[in-house]
Formats: sequence, structure tokens, C-alpha cells
Amino acid sequence: MRIGRLFVILLVGMVLGCWCAAAFAQPREQTLIHDMLGSVVGTPDDFNTWAGWRWPHRGLHQYCLEPLWIAEPATGEILPLLAKEWPPSYNKDFTKMTIRLQEGIAWNDGVPFTADDIVFTVELHKNTPELLMHGPIAEYVKEIRKLDDYTVEIELSKPNSRFHAYLLDRWGALRPMPKHVFEKIEDPVKFSFNPPIGTGPYKLHSYDPSGYWTTWVKREDWDKSATGKLYGEPKPVYITARDFASEEARILALMTGELDMAFLSVEGMKAAMKAPHVRTWRREWPWNCNIDPFVPGIVFNNLKQPYSIKEVRWALALAINIEEFMSVAVDFMAPVSPIHLPPVPAYEKAYFGPMLEWLRDFELDLGNGEKFKPFDTEVPFKLAEAAKKRGYPVPDAPEAIRSIFGVGWWKYAPDIAEKLLKKHGFYKDEFGRWRLPDGTLWTIQLLSTSDPGTFEHRTMLGAADQWRKFGIGVETWTPVGFITLNLLGEFDVSTTWTALEPWGAGVDLYRTLWPFHSSQVRPIGEYVANAPGGAARWSDPRMDDIIGRMEAVDISDEETTVTLGLEALKILVEEMPTVPIYGGIAFLAWSETYWTNYPGAENLYPNPWHWWPNFKLALPFLKPAKE
Amino acid sequence: MMKFLKEYLVPRLIQYFFVVFLGLTLVFFVPRLLPQDPIREIVGQFQQHGAGLDAKTVETMVATFRELFGLSGSWHEQYWSFWKRIIRFDFGPSFFRFPTPVSELLLRFLPWTLWIMLTSTFLAWLLGNIIGGIAGYFPGRRWSRLLDVFSVAVRPIPYYTFGLILLIFFAYTWRLFPLGGGVSVGRSITFSVASLIDILRHSFLPMLTLLVLNGVGWYHQMKLLVQNVKGEDFVRYAKAGGVKPWWVISQYVLRNAMLPQVTGLALAIGQSYSAAIIVEIVFSYPGVGTLLYEAIARADYNLIMGIAAVSILTVSTLVLIVDLIYPLLDPRVRYR
Repeated sequence: MRIGRLFVILLVGMVLGCWCAAAFAQPREQTLIHDMLGSVVGTPDDFNTWAGWRWPHRGLHQYCLEPLWIAEPATGEILPLLAKEWPPSYNKDFTKMTIRLQEGIAWNDGVPFTADDIVFTVELHKNTPELLMHGPIAEYVKEIRKLDDYTVEIELSKPNSRFHAYLLDRWGALRPMPKHVFEKIEDPVKFSFNPPIGTGPYKLHSYDPSGYWTTWVKREDWDKSATGKLYGEPKPVYITARDFASEEARILALMTGELDMAFLSVEGMKAAMKAPHVRTWRREWPWNCNIDPFVPGIVFNNLKQPYSIKEVRWALALAINIEEFMSVAVDFMAPVSPIHLPPVPAYEKAYFGPMLEWLRDFELDLGNGEKFKPFDTEVPFKLAEAAKKRGYPVPDAPEAIRSIFGVGWWKYAPDIAEKLLKKHGFYKDEFGRWRLPDGTLWTIQLLSTSDPGTFEHRTMLGAADQWRKFGIGVETWTPVGFITLNLLGEFDVSTTWTALEPWGAGVDLYRTLWPFHSSQVRPIGEYVANAPGGAARWSDPRMDDIIGRMEAVDISDEETTVTLGLEALKILVEEMPTVPIYGGIAFLAWSETYWTNYPGAENLYPNPWHWWPNFKLALPFLKPAKE
Repeated sequence: MMKFLKEYLVPRLIQYFFVVFLGLTLVFFVPRLLPQDPIREIVGQFQQHGAGLDAKTVETMVATFRELFGLSGSWHEQYWSFWKRIIRFDFGPSFFRFPTPVSELLLRFLPWTLWIMLTSTFLAWLLGNIIGGIAGYFPGRRWSRLLDVFSVAVRPIPYYTFGLILLIFFAYTWRLFPLGGGVSVGRSITFSVASLIDILRHSFLPMLTLLVLNGVGWYHQMKLLVQNVKGEDFVRYAKAGGVKPWWVISQYVLRNAMLPQVTGLALAIGQSYSAAIIVEIVFSYPGVGTLLYEAIARADYNLIMGIAAVSILTVSTLVLIVDLIYPLLDPRVRYR
């Protein structure tokens, strides 16, 4: 009987012990835990990011792999990591590029990183059609040569002043592969690369076979990673990337200290902020991180009537009351942008300054010699007033207001919009509804995503509201095939990004402008390569000419690069193929229970987004809270 | 016997195979009618996250994926190959989770779902029917009326909201259960008591959500059925004949009221899939529900086909089994 009772007590004790065991296997105060953007890892056992989509933001590209160069939107610089310097040197006709490499770097299994790895990576990609970056490498690389252990020369089969772009990490690039691992593999496409061997400061510790978490552990020889060598010792011993299928669970995890860093919706961020240990990127209103280098807005299908008419596109822009729009779309929490660039540090001096002068004098031709200056520099102050009325603690200093609300946007001018439309035969019927020149009722089919938390959806709500008030019918359309329909051009007006995301660093706009080159335009029903910019299906001979001239300029020639960039931005304003509205924002919430000194607005040392490959650069600067 | 085979078994088997054929055919064609291209969805993943792919890279990727996914032939060829593969339980690779085969994903995720779905569905059915049956027999009792109030209050709550309420109270306020996942972070599944308890801790709240919300449904149905059956002549006759009350409840009332509930149980398995999708999302539970949600969102034809095929086969087979054992439960069917 006694033995029986003892057994029951032991069993109950064991069960309770297991029940109350910590939720984490690693010491919590040495572990940084962040959420994952998007869905749970679909290929938990596979880390071969060169062969397909392998959820690199599970920590693989933040902590394990390192690129030659990386774009850093927080400072606007391009930083060398495995390369010794930025930029690479080209010969005069852009047919040879030389890369010098960092010395003293080793893969996380101890093998030194050398020029052999770069030569192997490029050659493997040239010869293996199934690898993701095969296309451009096979097209451009004639030969790659090792000049010494830390220098390679790539000979191109045709001139390309931007070949380095394929090796420059901005959420993806051709990152070096470990030759000593891949050379033993028969099929590099099917190879799962598990455990992954990288030069980054962390190596794989463990992962969930269902894909909900991946844990990385700091290398003992972290100083042999480029990150460690250049920026110092990363502070967390362990890092876990953890997915939560619902935002509610993520918020609760952040509030209970099960999560340190989370990317949330505005509503989620406001809820999480109620915990005293949770901080946001900006400690005061509007809390959000507004240096994300992309520009949401309106995208017209320029191959469809009546959106192929420039004046119609401009009329729709002038029919937007930006104060009301920003109230609906982002609750005043984003900076407006009148140009096809986000207002981030890299572009403020080079582009926003000079463009501001030009925008003030820019005129629209209304016909019969009548002109109209559409740019309104008072928009930031109007937005600030509107936000104040909503009860937000808006600062009074003009510089602070411009930093939060942007430099200006288009005037709300429905009367001018009316003149522009009437110029082309549009008219209002007796009920105040706009009709097309052929007499049919004008109804815009406005394509967007169904997720109310996305920029696309919120832009749709704001635009539909404004155009309905102006007298145009709007049918909102949120099908599951949003991406496909954008790429195919099966829409009238869409709400995807208005231009391809720029590098967010450096002054080169080639990447953003390229989707507007005539060679990229496809008829409706055929796929374009990129939805941002490309979905508009717009081109202009002047833009082709600028892109052609850019190709002949060395990127180290910043003056010419900026001049060409400004020319292109002016054409985009004049033609308005898409309407950029505001700079990208992200709502970041960080718990200071275990870690402090996050890269917040007051202390912005690197990019603050934990799902970006740049996040490795923040790790040496984090501080344990208990210290 | 021949009559049973000819008039009962064979028509039902023919019906069964026809339903399975039709269901799988629909599963093949319907996703292909979506205005979505699974390959562009994958390329879109790179682009949505910020990677700028130039046209050349996109073209190469699309061509490579089309070949690897087996989407290069005509619909007719793909349909034929689909039937050849399905017989071997081979649904090809998942597109979105390429190169993982769908069958491997099903083997990895299905046990999690089956564990919470089957356990909670069966327990909800059992408890709902027993409690509903007894409450229906004694409708005037105080506890019976209290149960009515509880079930009426709980039944309209959506799965997502109810799961979230449990999550807030049990995982956030009182911290008795984890916030999500199938096992604790950093732990792997082993054959040990600790591992078993870890799994139980993580599956308790999802199961409880399904159990309560499904259970109150069964409770209501059974209560109404019992209230109906207990007024029948044969029950009154049994009572008048001095049959003991619990014998009357179990053998006369519950047994008769159970018949439609048995059919309902087979159908409920199918319905539980939709509930499981929602519940698994609330609790970040690694089941097939989240897998299906993602497959639909990404136009992952093969994965949709794999999950739907398992669902169709499970439900159809269960309905067939119930149909076949029905004569054992209901003598009226047997004698007809």
C-alpha cells in the first residue's frame, strides 16, 4: 500500500515537474527570440537557399550566411562584409569586375573562406540551370578567375555596369557557397544543406520538424565571421526565430516575455504597448518605423482605357484629399511621398532635396493656356493638425513634423481634376456621377488583397472612399490571386507598390527604374517580371534613354548617377503611371525584459528589422537587460 | 445473404466509389480554375519579402519550377498522371514547400490533427450525447437548466474567439498552458514521460476548444431527440411495465435517440477539418489545418489535392462503415 502511494506521489510529482518545466530548452536570458514574417517554415529540414524558397528569414540569412556586400537602409550606405571594399572595380567598358575579399574569415566548420569559394559558387551557378540565379550568371559571366587567395576577377560576356547587383544583398543575393561542402555533392539542387555551413557568427542549434521554430547558437570562433570581425562579438548566445500563426498569440507572447521582438499591425502594436516592458521603434508617437524602403500607392493599368491617358491619372491623384486618405489608410502614421522613392536616409539629400525645388514650380497644363501648380508643401502641417485633432501628441517643431509626415504631396483639387477629365470628354450626369466619354458609367475596379492588415488593403479603402466622394463608382476586388492578376495585368487599378523597391542605400536608382523600361512591358495576359512598377505596363522613350545612359555610368560616379536619377523621377511625376502616396512603415514592438539597446529611432545603428539579413549587424550592440 | 449483398452492400459500394471519384476529380480541377499561378506565388514570396529579382532571374525560375512541379503538360496529361500517382498515395511535391513531397507533409502533420480532431470529436460526441440524453430525460432539474444556459451561451461563439478566450485566460493570465506550438521551443519529441506531457500541454487548449464547441452541439441535438423519444408509446409502456428507470434511459430512450447521432458522427469528422483550421491557427498548432490554409492561399495544387483526398477518403469511408453497421444498430433497417 505504502509502495503504491509512493508511486502515485512520484508520478504526480513527475507530471507536475514536467508540466511546469520552462517553455524553452535554452537559458532564456542568453536567448534572443523573435517572430517570423509570413508563414511557418515550409521546408524545415532544407537550408539550400540557392535552389529555391527555403524561408531564409528563419535565421539562415540573418545569422548563418553572409554576402559580399549588403545594403543598409538605416544609414543609406552599402557595406562590404565578405568583400574587402565597396564598390567593386570595373574596367572602362564594364566587361571585367574585380572583387577583393576579407582575409581571416572561416566557415562555421573551421575551413577558411577564400577566393576558391567565390569561383566555385559562380561556376556552379553558370553550369546548373536549376539554381535560382543561373539565368543572369549564365548570361553575363564569360569566365571567373582567381587572381590570388583573396582576389577574383569576373570577365563578363557583355558590358554590364551593374553586375555586382546580383551579389549585393538586399533581402537576397547570390551569397558565397562553401566549396568544400558542395563539391562533394552530386546534385546541388536536391541537396538539403543540413546543417548549413556559413561564414556568419551563428550556426544551427536545433529546429522544429513542423517548422515553428529554429534556434541558432553563437560560434565559438565568432571572430572568424565577417560580422564578428568588423562589428564585434554578437551578444545573444542563442537566437530563436519562432512563428505564431495568429497575431494575438504573438502579442501575448511578447507581453509575457516569451518573445523579444515582433512585427505587428498597428492595432497589435497598440495592444502590446500596454505592457510596461514593451517598447516601439520610436518611443513616442507615431511609434512606427518609417524607414522601410518601399512606396505603397495606386497602380494604373496603363494599357487599359481610360488609364492610358495621363490627364485621367493626374485627375485621380488630384481627387484624393490626402488628409482623409492618410486618416483611413494609416491613421496618419506614415510620411507622404510625392515621388517614386521612399523618404529614407539614402535619398533625402540626393533626391528629396533637389526634387522639392522642382516640385514647387512643376505645372500641369489644363489646356487653353491655363496652368496649375499641384504640389502642396503644407500637406505635412495639415496632416499634423488632423492628427492632433484625433488626440495624438504631435510635436510642433517643423523638422519633426516633416520627419513624421513627409515633405509634401498633391493639392486636393477636385475642380482641377474635373477640368482635366472634361478635356477628354468625361462628364458628370444629373446625379453627379462621372461618365466615360462614350456615356457609360465610370466604375473603377480596384484590385487589392483581402487581408485588412496590409498596406494594399488599406490603400484600397482610402482610395475607394476618395474617388466615390468625387463621383466615380468604385468596385473593390480582393481575390486570392492578387499577385497573379497584378503580374498578368488583369485589372483596371491596383494597390500594389508603385515602384520596385530601391536598394535603400547608395544613390543608384537603376533597380527601381528598370521595370519601366519598354523591354519589360508585356501585353495584358502575359506575365511581367515584377509587380511593383511592372504591373503598370508603362514605358516612355525618355525613360529608356535614361536607363541606357545609366548602364554606361560607373556607380562610383555618384554625381552623374544622381543627375540621371533626378531626370527619371521628374518624368515619373509628369506622367504619373502610378501614384506614390506614402513611405513604407513597420510596426515593431520589442520587449526589454531580457534585451535592451535595440536599434530604435533614437539610436539607429543598423537596420532594425529582424527578418532582414542586415539584422546580424545589430547583434554586437544588443545588451542583456539583467546586466 | 445474396439479397443483402445485391440490394444493400453493392449499391452502397458503387455509391462510395462514385463519390470518391467525383470528389477527387473536383479536387483536381477546382484549384486549377483559380486565377492564381502557384509558380508566380513562389516567385512572389521572394519579391514580397524585398528581394528584387530581375526579369532574367524570374524567367529562369519560372521555367525551372514549371518543369520540376510537373505542370508543363496539358490538363489532360496532368489528370491522367494524377490518377496514376494517387493509387500509390503519391501526390507529387508540394509547390510552396518544394521539394518536400505532399505524402511526407501529410505524414508529418496529419498525426497532430488526427490527435486533437479525433479525440475531441469523439469525446464531444460521447459526452455531448450522454449529458444531453440525461438532461433531456430530466429537463426540469436545476443542473439541466444550468447546462442549457451554458450551452446556449457558448454555442454561437466562433471557434477563433473561443480559442482566443481560452488562450488569454489559460496561457496569458494564469500561464497554465503554452501560448502555441506542438512542443516547447528547443525540445524535440522523444519516447519519454516529459515529452508526452509536453505534447499534452500543447494540445490541451486546442482540444478543449473543439471539445466544448462541438460538445454543446451534440448536447442540444441529443436533448431534443430524447425529449421526443421519451414521449413515445414504447417508453411509456416500458415504464408502466416496471422497467427500471436507468434501463429505460439507456436501452429504450438513448439507444433509439442515438441512431441519427451515429450518422452525424461520421459527417462530423469532415466538418471538423474546417474547425481544426481555425483552432490550429489560434494555437499555432502544427496540424494539417494550417497546412491547408496555406495551400489554398498559395495555390499549391498538389497539397490541396493531398489534404482533400485524405479528407474525402476518410469521410466517405466512415459514412460507408456507418451505413454498413447501421442494420446492426437499427433493427428496422435490417428487417426492411
